Amino acid sequence: MRTFPLALVFVACAASTASGLRAAEVAYTVRAIEMKQEPLTDAATLASLSEKSPVEILQRQGGWARIKSASASGWVRLLSLRFSPASGEGQKGDSGIKSLFNVALTGSSGTVVATGVRGLSEEDLKNAQPNPQELKKMRSYAANKSEALEFSRKVKLAPQSIDFVPAPTAPTARAQTSAGSGS
Amino acid sequence: MKTVKLILWSLSLILCAGSAQAQFNFNKLIDTVKKVSEATTEIDEPREIEIGEGVASNLLGAAPLVANANLQKYVNLIGRWLASQTERPDLPWNFGVLDSANVNAFATPGGSVFITRGLLQKMHSEAELAGVLAHEISHVLRKHHLKAIQKNAGAGLMGDMVGEATKNNSNRESLGKIVNFGTEMYARGLDKSDEFEADRMGVVIAARAGYDPYGLPAVLQTLQGAKPQDSDVALMFKTHPSPSDRLDILETLLPAKLDSYASQPQLTERFLDTLGIK
Repeated sequence: MRTFPLALVFVACAASTASGLRAAEVAYTVRAIEMKQEPLTDAATLASLSEKSPVEILQRQGGWARIKSASASGWVRLLSLRFSPASGEGQKGDSGIKSLFNVALTGSSGTVVATGVRGLSEEDLKNAQPNPQELKKMRSYAANKSEALEFSRKVKLAPQSIDFVPAPTAPTARAQTSAGSGS
Repeated sequence: MKTVKLILWSLSLILCAGSAQAQFNFNKLIDTVKKVSEATTEIDEPREIEIGEGVASNLLGAAPLVANANLQKYVNLIGRWLASQTERPDLPWNFGVLDSANVNAFATPGGSVFITRGLLQKMHSEAELAGVLAHEISHVLRKHHLKAIQKNAGAGLMGDMVGEATKNNSNRESLGKIVNFGTEMYARGLDKSDEFEADRMGVVIAARAGYDPYGLPAVLQTLQGAKPQDSDVALMFKTHPSPSDRLDILETLLPAKLDSYASQPQLTERFLDTLGIK
């Protein structure tokens, strides 16, 4: 599968850039859920999906995903979907978006091939030496509060006042249960 | 501190009639007792920042910045806007994209936050980037790394660091050791509870800044599709709870608390434009 057809990669790129999503993202329902006509809890139900139904994600909007199942398309809660490692096999669109990104992003550095996965392995972190020049460069990119405010206003990001949510009473109990049932 | 004074007082009583040799040991003892007591006290903000700068310099030694000023500035504007919505808005916040294919993100004490090119490449929108930066900002707000360093570095070392005279050579040496220890912490990871807390805070900070708070869970869903044994994600998986566990916890909180903010912008286009994907 390493020789994945180039043409398909390009198709995947085009689709993903249009929607902001990778093409043919495959996920599974974590439980039995209802597929809605609109991204609203009280919208009409189009179909019922059983647990672990494979679906294709077409679009994401807030807490909802527009999906296509074997029988219909509609909206489900984003967090009712999971991408199992097995489904990762199907995510060939990823390599498409990645390769385009590389060309655009690293054109000026020209060091992409040389760097590769160098740098941030466990061993690299243990042997890391300071790089004060690069730290100085990073400092030069820092934004102050008023620049940040101006930046947010450009795209109408409206600040909200929301309290942090305290830890649930047994923060990991639920997670452990679900992890345990997977083996 | 009362206990310390009591110990010192007792020691001085024991040693008051001692020889010059005993006097010397006495001074050393006082020093040790002081260090141990100080190691359990809070590290002040200037020292937190000093440690963080050293760790940031080390991380940049492991992987340099992506050579794209426009991208670096963009990430700094998002990061600073997010940090402005928190209880520590005036730290010297700084953000950097590291030129590494490894999928990871790091926060150093005092406000330097890093994300790798590899992780950025897996994202689809500014809201997703904001979600990850807000998670890292939360580690800084709650001093997760600083506390982990303090807990694990050993009382003597931390005592040297928080001692009065930071400018002398032995303290410089201690700072260097703490910084290296702090860098290695990223290979060990934090407590799971710290990661869950940063997730819970991260989605709130993203929503406060006006973003769709579902950005962070969307990234976690993408990571769930990766194979943990792949070299570019191995360390991230090793040092964090599984994406599934993190999503389970977010699922208990997001729909109930933050759904009214889910229609806030994702800013997909600005994100893709800045990354050069058109």
